[in-house]
Amino acid sequence: MAVTHPKLARDFWPHFQRRAVTIAILLQTLVLAALGGVLYVFGFFESDPMAATVVLVTTATASLIVSALLYRLIAQPLKDVLSAVIHVSGELAATTPPNPNEARFAKSGFRDVLQTIYELSSSDTPVISSQAASVDTPAVKTDLTPAVAHSLPEKALDNTTCGFVVMNQARQITFSNKAAPVNIDQEGASHLSLLFNGEDTLENWLTECEVTAVHAEHTWTRIPNKLPEEEGRRFFDVIGSYDKGAESEVVLTLIDRTESYSASEQELDFIAFAAHELRGPITVIRGYLDVLQDELSDVLRDDQHELFRRLTVSANRLSGYINNILNTSRYDRRHLKMHLTETTMTEVYDIIRDDMDLRSSAQGRLLSVAIPADLPKIAADPASLGEVMGNLIDNAIKYSNEGGAIEVTAAMKGELVEFSVEDHGIGMPGNVVSNLFQKFYRSHRSRETVAGTGIGLYISKAIVESHGGTISVRSEDGRGSTFSVSLPTYQAVAEKLKAGDNSNEGLIEQGSGWIKNHSMYRG
Amino acid sequence: MAIQTILVIEDDRFIGEMYVRSLKKAGYEVDWMIDGNDGLIAARNKAYNLILLDVMLPERRGSDILEALRGGSEDLIPHSKVLVLTNFEQDDESRLAMEKRADGYLIKAEITPSKLLAVIKQLDQQQPSA
Repeated sequence: MAVTHPKLARDFWPHFQRRAVTIAILLQTLVLAALGGVLYVFGFFESDPMAATVVLVTTATASLIVSALLYRLIAQPLKDVLSAVIHVSGELAATTPPNPNEARFAKSGFRDVLQTIYELSSSDTPVISSQAASVDTPAVKTDLTPAVAHSLPEKALDNTTCGFVVMNQARQITFSNKAAPVNIDQEGASHLSLLFNGEDTLENWLTECEVTAVHAEHTWTRIPNKLPEEEGRRFFDVIGSYDKGAESEVVLTLIDRTESYSASEQELDFIAFAAHELRGPITVIRGYLDVLQDELSDVLRDDQHELFRRLTVSANRLSGYINNILNTSRYDRRHLKMHLTETTMTEVYDIIRDDMDLRSSAQGRLLSVAIPADLPKIAADPASLGEVMGNLIDNAIKYSNEGGAIEVTAAMKGELVEFSVEDHGIGMPGNVVSNLFQKFYRSHRSRETVAGTGIGLYISKAIVESHGGTISVRSEDGRGSTFSVSLPTYQAVAEKLKAGDNSNEGLIEQGSGWIKNHSMYRG
Repeated sequence: MAIQTILVIEDDRFIGEMYVRSLKKAGYEVDWMIDGNDGLIAARNKAYNLILLDVMLPERRGSDILEALRGGSEDLIPHSKVLVLTNFEQDDESRLAMEKRADGYLIKAEITPSKLLAVIKQLDQQQPSA
């Protein structure tokens, strides 16, 4: 075998490992051979072949274990050091660099070694120890005063509209260019003025990075620097880079996206106002229908009663649809908030029960509802969850035929309370199912035959997920569909929130974690 | 004491008339004010059992009226209940602030006169505990 000398740091380890293992095996074999020789010379094999074999085998096994242990003890730190060196050298490697915060490193004191490697690699000037750098070197301290552009790159950075912020290991801002949204307090220290959404803040990310990461990146979109209606509010997309132990541990790049975001902001404002304007007339229509139906109940003929019911059903649908639009606009602006209370599936369904009965009978569908009263309590925003149920039943009506049965059920599924709406209508093929919850999605077939805008399921999914639940669908083309909403029990949510913090505010953790529950109270 | 006298503060004539008509029909004594200033004065001059309060009002917004009546150290209307009725989508903070001071917060588009009467009955039943 031709011995090639490794050129890259990452090639060293396999090379070293191969050699170490080969030498270990060779030495073991030599020792065993010597031992065998000695035993033979003294005649052990003839007097007691059994004992001699046992001695040989035991020795072989014992020394194999010992050398494996020794190898691990000595080679593991070397492997970690190499892996750290590979990381800082910038070579591409499949291994993740060792994290100094791991317990095993802290115990053996190896943590400082790793820290030093990362620090050395990232500072231009050699540092002897991290303490010396931050306490004795005045250069670091002066960096905390407002950055004055003195070098060419810094001047250049001030000429760009892209914000750059550099932070040291103590999370103090050591550099920021002109475009960065930074405030300077009375003591001369700079602070980022960014309003992050919910729990997904820079601080939280950095805290997480300190424990789990050596190098990490994170992107936040649409982060404002001021509250709504404040002067000079701007929106940024923020990209954070984290490099453990580096002098510039955190580098933030801020892209000013105010122009593109404010346009859509106005658009959404318009939607909210338009919805409000629509609600006025609807209030009057629904109100007087209610009054008239009551006052004329003795005078009206049966067919006129039916006309009144249709008016009521239509007005109610309109009102539900406006709620969908409003919620979508809120969701897209990240303003959709759930006010979770302790309630039951039955209580929530009761909000929409009359309306659903009216709607299904007016459209000639057989609606049957079976929600057991003894299901565990759930943590829900009753109005929003009621809208979800209404949307699902509306869909079942829309995509089934006259006289078709629609079954509304609820049951305990594992840890979750599941609410289901099953229809026996037209159903849908698999390729439709996968796109179903996207905004404005309408299947090709329903575009032509059924009216709708495709926001009902989109907003339903958003509402369910901000409850910490899931929404799913099973469908068979031509046979019908079943939509299911699964929610955690009140108990589970309350415990989770209690574990998170003791205040009444909490966050339901899920993909879009910015949906916050402001009032988690017992209803 | 059961609810008998009601003050409606509502600037939309159609909606105001609708509520007043149903409430009167149900046997309540109803006064109706269409701007915020008159509403605030009326609420302070007479001890109504219940005040139906809109948010978007000329002269003085409903939130300001509620603030003036119940925001200080002293509750100026200790004998009145307040039901906020609005179609306006407030931001969360203003909404929560109003919810805290009022006895109910409802979206008008979701409330028909008969539902409103049911809510008032419910408020009436809460009376002993309040």
